[in-house]
Amino acid sequence: MKHKLHIAAAFLALLAGLGIISAVLEKRAAVAAAVVEAPQFEVDPLWPKPLPNHWILGMTVGVSVDTQDHIWIVHRTNTYEPTEVYATAKPPAAECCIPAPPVLEFDEEGNLIGHWGGPGASYDWPDSNHGITVDYKGNVWIGGNSRGPDPKGYHDNMVLKFTQSGKFLMQIGHPGKSQGSNDTENLKGPAKLFVDAATDELYVADGYGNHRVIVYDAETGKYKRQWGAYGKKPDDTNLGPYNPDAPPAQQFRNPVHCAELSNDGLLYVCDRPNDRIQVFKKDGTFVKEAFVATKTLGDGSVWDIAFSKDPQQKYIFLADGSNEKIYVLLRDTLEILTSFGDGGRQPGQFYAVHSIAADSKGNLFTTETYRGQRVQKFVYKGLAPVTKKDQGVVWPKSSK
Amino acid sequence: MLRIYRSLLVASLLLLPWSALAHDIPNEVTVRAFVKPEGTHLHLLVRVPLKAMRDINFPERGPGYLDLARVNDVLAGAATLWISDFVEIYEGDIRLSKPKILATCISLPSDRSFVSYEDAYAHVTGPRLSNDTNLFWDQTMLDALFEYPIQSEQSRFSIHPALARLGLRVVTVLRFLPAGGGVRAFEFIGDPGLVRLDPRWHQSAVRFVDLGFFHILDGTDHLLFLLCLVIPFRRLGALIPVVTAFTIAHSVTLIASAYNLAPNFLWFPPLIETLIAISIVYMALENIVGGSSLQRRWMMAFGFGLVHGFGFSFALRESLQFAGSHLLTSLLSFNVGVELGQLLVLVLLVPVLQLLFRYAVAERVGSIILSALVAHTAWHWMLDRGHVLAQFRFEWPALTTALLVNALRWLMLFLILGGFFWILQRAIQRWNDRVPGIGWKAIAGKLRIGVSSIARSALSGDSQEGQRGR
Repeated sequence: MKHKLHIAAAFLALLAGLGIISAVLEKRAAVAAAVVEAPQFEVDPLWPKPLPNHWILGMTVGVSVDTQDHIWIVHRTNTYEPTEVYATAKPPAAECCIPAPPVLEFDEEGNLIGHWGGPGASYDWPDSNHGITVDYKGNVWIGGNSRGPDPKGYHDNMVLKFTQSGKFLMQIGHPGKSQGSNDTENLKGPAKLFVDAATDELYVADGYGNHRVIVYDAETGKYKRQWGAYGKKPDDTNLGPYNPDAPPAQQFRNPVHCAELSNDGLLYVCDRPNDRIQVFKKDGTFVKEAFVATKTLGDGSVWDIAFSKDPQQKYIFLADGSNEKIYVLLRDTLEILTSFGDGGRQPGQFYAVHSIAADSKGNLFTTETYRGQRVQKFVYKGLAPVTKKDQGVVWPKSSK
Repeated sequence: MLRIYRSLLVASLLLLPWSALAHDIPNEVTVRAFVKPEGTHLHLLVRVPLKAMRDINFPERGPGYLDLARVNDVLAGAATLWISDFVEIYEGDIRLSKPKILATCISLPSDRSFVSYEDAYAHVTGPRLSNDTNLFWDQTMLDALFEYPIQSEQSRFSIHPALARLGLRVVTVLRFLPAGGGVRAFEFIGDPGLVRLDPRWHQSAVRFVDLGFFHILDGTDHLLFLLCLVIPFRRLGALIPVVTAFTIAHSVTLIASAYNLAPNFLWFPPLIETLIAISIVYMALENIVGGSSLQRRWMMAFGFGLVHGFGFSFALRESLQFAGSHLLTSLLSFNVGVELGQLLVLVLLVPVLQLLFRYAVAERVGSIILSALVAHTAWHWMLDRGHVLAQFRFEWPALTTALLVNALRWLMLFLILGGFFWILQRAIQRWNDRVPGIGWKAIAGKLRIGVSSIARSALSGDSQEGQRGR
């Protein structure tokens, strides 16, 4: 009996000891967490669900999340290898596959719930779709970046506005008409769009051919204002290739790849090949800039950004399709806290991660161009202390 | 009265020649709602996408913009037809009378005011969108504020929001703000039936007993596991320790999960589903090979019971919102429901097995055939679920203090489980020592239950393995 009591006492003492240690460690963890925290993510390898009808994605060059947390993507239906779309050969060479319609809408579960897009009689559909934005009224905006067959010309000089069901509403600019960075009637390879709910103004990252941000009335399409890097007048002088050791370029390089307005009225512009993000007031006044992975040549490092969904938008998620990762930045200081992702084709890896968007629950969605050709979901797993500058592939693991 | 109202509404709608009809049933609709009793009235504040309100002519202008100057004439009717007519609210057991519509308005899809009751109330009762705002009708939201007369804000309220008709898939996010303060959140898909916003403990208990009972009866994998457990051990004396071990084990992990102690990995649910399939395959194979002792069987039941408990917790996760303030009661009730379901299955299964082995097929051959059939099914489940699991790649998490804390908590849980296991082992040992001869026949005799000759013959059979277990 006494022996059993001793065993019971030892058992309880062990439990109590472990409880105390765990409480102490928890306090320490809380102190550590107070130092630097960043949002954590895990890839959801089962999102989205398979597309129906043998549909397949081409270069997937835009993602946007609407106010109902539906995920919208745009992809290019003319960028397949012949063997990817054998079913469209005449006669069909195989059962699979068929290009999916250019604009696809998914629900939170990854079910495809809507699709439309393509040429129409009353508008000029881009030869090379680029960027998709669902605005505060629920309208859908699309850009494009095809040069077209003429080596001296540029085809996709327009942005298009549709309803969510694909009804055409408005076109700004016309194919092949651009006169350069100071032509306010036309764009030149517009990459991404944002509509300011406060003023109903459309901000265009323009783009692949021009070197500016240009602002229109989102309702009428009337030109409002424009500016280049550092808020200067845009200039089409050829800057030559990016040199990381040279002083910062005084103009944007092509492409100017994103323009995102924060809740506090600051416009964040992706100057992709210059490996930098520039911040402006709404009137084009330059505020600050930050450089990211400045040794990156070629396509550059600053491809697209999304803000965290807290009212303060404390964090920026920056997609880098050259180094194949997502950086997490503090919006206030533009300091890089951590990054995740790596090159590859498995879930959580990237090949040319091109676009990024966040839903109201903090989950991230990314799309990949070139031969990446997919959309991925990264599940928000809460804030956690930063333990690594580069987390690598965020496979599902502990949430803590 | 309702008919007259509807006729007037239809007539008024027909008088709007510039309108266009809405036809398509939307794929997905999210409804946001607040319920707040205050003094002698209860407010129901609802936001629904306008496109979910079909067959109503919303006045349009220009290329299809909603005519905000005229739409107010239609909104109250639409809110009644599509929302309040299909929402029943109860104070105690008494259904509240039809509500008064205090306000309706059209909102931008990007409006964020429904994050809190106060913001939403201020928004619905505040200024309207400017009439020249260009909005497509099917991209807007209808907000409506209904007021119900009540006896007391302290009453217990229930709601039956039959809003599934709004779309193919309707998600309702409902927040209840009881008079005592706090917010209770609910989220359900389709028609949830009657939702008790502030249930009494016995109402929670009944709901969760029902849930547990039907969960086990719907759960083919749990039933097949149970079948495998009892094929060789069909005597009451053998069944009690085996089923008790299974029950205790799954209760522990079920409760631990409900208190957020389960791992929060994306791969964890597929892992558990795969392990459940493996548990069935293992048990079936053990039955085929033979030689399992009672001691070994109840230990296996305990081990795999831990896994099945996590499985139960996945089924329970979305229902815990209906527990009100009675989380533990609800968990225990769910368990009681599961046990009742198990008991029912055993009561039906054991005599059937006895009859089968007595008249249709020899026990050993019968056990092998049955187990082989079960193993075959479970094998396919295992492969299918394993395939899903294989899409996740396990990676060791970084060694952080938070991780250590988590590990220590699990160590404590395992120690407690070890203690349980030890106590259970001693209890089962004593049970076996004390009542080696108790069987179904003895119990039936003690309870003076009249049984038919067939049932008597079934109840009198002692299984080979059962004897070995003794």
